[in-house]
Amino acid sequence: MFQNRTEALALALPAAVFAALVFVVPVVLLLSEGFKSADQWTLSAYVDFFSQSLNRTVFLRTLKLGALVTLAAAVIGYATAYAIVSLPPGAKGKMIGLVVLPLMISPVARTYAWIVILGRTGIVNQALMAVGLTDEPFRILFTETAVFIGLLQLFLPLMVISLISALENLPRDAVPAARVLGANWFQVFWKVILPLTREGLVVGGTLVFTGSMTAYITPAILGGSKVLMLETLLYQQVTVANNFVSASVIAFILIVMSFAANILLKRIATARNRT
Amino acid sequence: MTQRLYAPIILLLVMIFLIGPFFIIVAASFSAGDTLAFPPQGFSLKWIAKVFTVESFRQSFAVSMFLAIGGTLTALLLGIPASYAMSRYKLPLSETVRFLVSTPIIVPGIIVGLALLRYFVIPVGLSITLALFLAHTALVLPYAVRVVSASLANLRSDMEEAAVLLGSSRLGAFFRVVLPNIRGGILAAFILGFVTSFNQVPVSLFLSGPGVRTLPIDMLGYMEIVFDPSVAALSALLAFLSIGIVFAAERFLGFSRYV
Repeated sequence: MFQNRTEALALALPAAVFAALVFVVPVVLLLSEGFKSADQWTLSAYVDFFSQSLNRTVFLRTLKLGALVTLAAAVIGYATAYAIVSLPPGAKGKMIGLVVLPLMISPVARTYAWIVILGRTGIVNQALMAVGLTDEPFRILFTETAVFIGLLQLFLPLMVISLISALENLPRDAVPAARVLGANWFQVFWKVILPLTREGLVVGGTLVFTGSMTAYITPAILGGSKVLMLETLLYQQVTVANNFVSASVIAFILIVMSFAANILLKRIATARNRT
Repeated sequence: MTQRLYAPIILLLVMIFLIGPFFIIVAASFSAGDTLAFPPQGFSLKWIAKVFTVESFRQSFAVSMFLAIGGTLTALLLGIPASYAMSRYKLPLSETVRFLVSTPIIVPGIIVGLALLRYFVIPVGLSITLALFLAHTALVLPYAVRVVSASLANLRSDMEEAAVLLGSSRLGAFFRVVLPNIRGGILAAFILGFVTSFNQVPVSLFLSGPGVRTLPIDMLGYMEIVFDPSVAALSALLAFLSIGIVFAAERFLGFSRYV
């Protein structure tokens, strides 16, 4: 450990000042716009924002989709992570690689694929009509279902990775012991696996939830103007309505949720380090 | 029996869901038809060839490359000394510094883009290119600090202390002892930063002007107007590029050790 404070500051300050100037200052200025009206501090912009039913719908839809995607990712994530952890080492590494692979591909490309799959003449509709389940193609694109599917595909890998590391720390004999003692699979999950992997679930859940809440590309491509979420609404408020106050309100909501999630994550991380 | 089938079935279904759409994009980009469709109509390379002839794609590709390489290098130039200060020195206000450099990961990108547009580009006249450069640098900074800090934590600090005791200057110790030992971590941080910056959309949404926009933003704009397979072809090409880079990094560096 070196003691020279001047040297330490000289090394660290450029990065800190850069982040403050480029990031913190403009963002704080933007947020302050939502609390000001004619140079007075006020919450009127927030009252206005939530008094409009479209905004309320978008806000609740964003929360709802975030929650649903997180729930689905948790269910599928446990099934997947459990299957991967039980593989022999070589296969396990390859599977983890395949799960991580989509994270390296541009989200634009990943979302674009769903147009081909879910569109009017897409694969799903072709299959449904071939089987004779429907004569008319279903409208899946530009519905909440499409956005849900797109978000789930985008963020599922984060959940799987978090749960894999949690499951690997599960004591080897915990599950067989519970089985021998007569627990069924549901009880094993609820009483043994879930309590012992809660941290991993919370970490993955936070990543998936904040990711879904603050996603732009998926709702923009798969939801369009019919299924607005907070980020697409923000974009519309600026580009179409030129309403920066409303944009500032949305920005504040997004930042509060993002920070809350991060504080939660940090709490869990420090709690783990102590034990 | 049911238990032995469980893992393969689950994994097959999940992989189809996660990776299947990517194969559809690849297949659609070899189509001979004029609209995006699957199964592709016929086989041709014309859409892949077309990608290289679209002027705006070439321009925005250059912009994105410049941002990804220049932004990441700048973030490393800022981030390596900061990480070093945080791990080896008694740094006053070290929590504040840590918080400041990690904010870009917490604040959604769209807000940063908007804030830069509203307070730097419009009133001060900062050019779009410079605003994009600043935004992408800031965005990569937390990754650079995190990955470099992790490799510094794995390097015993008595090595450079020994070098200093043996008469090397502190700077000399850094360049001769520390830097060669964290080379892998720096390269990993560069690759992670490059991929993150290159694929980034929200931060650049509001930062586009005539002739200056990033490739993903250009693709979003293009697909709103034209529904031909060229965006699929471009997506497939970019995906192979990313996968190639990451695969090579994993193969030669053991990339996943650092991330």
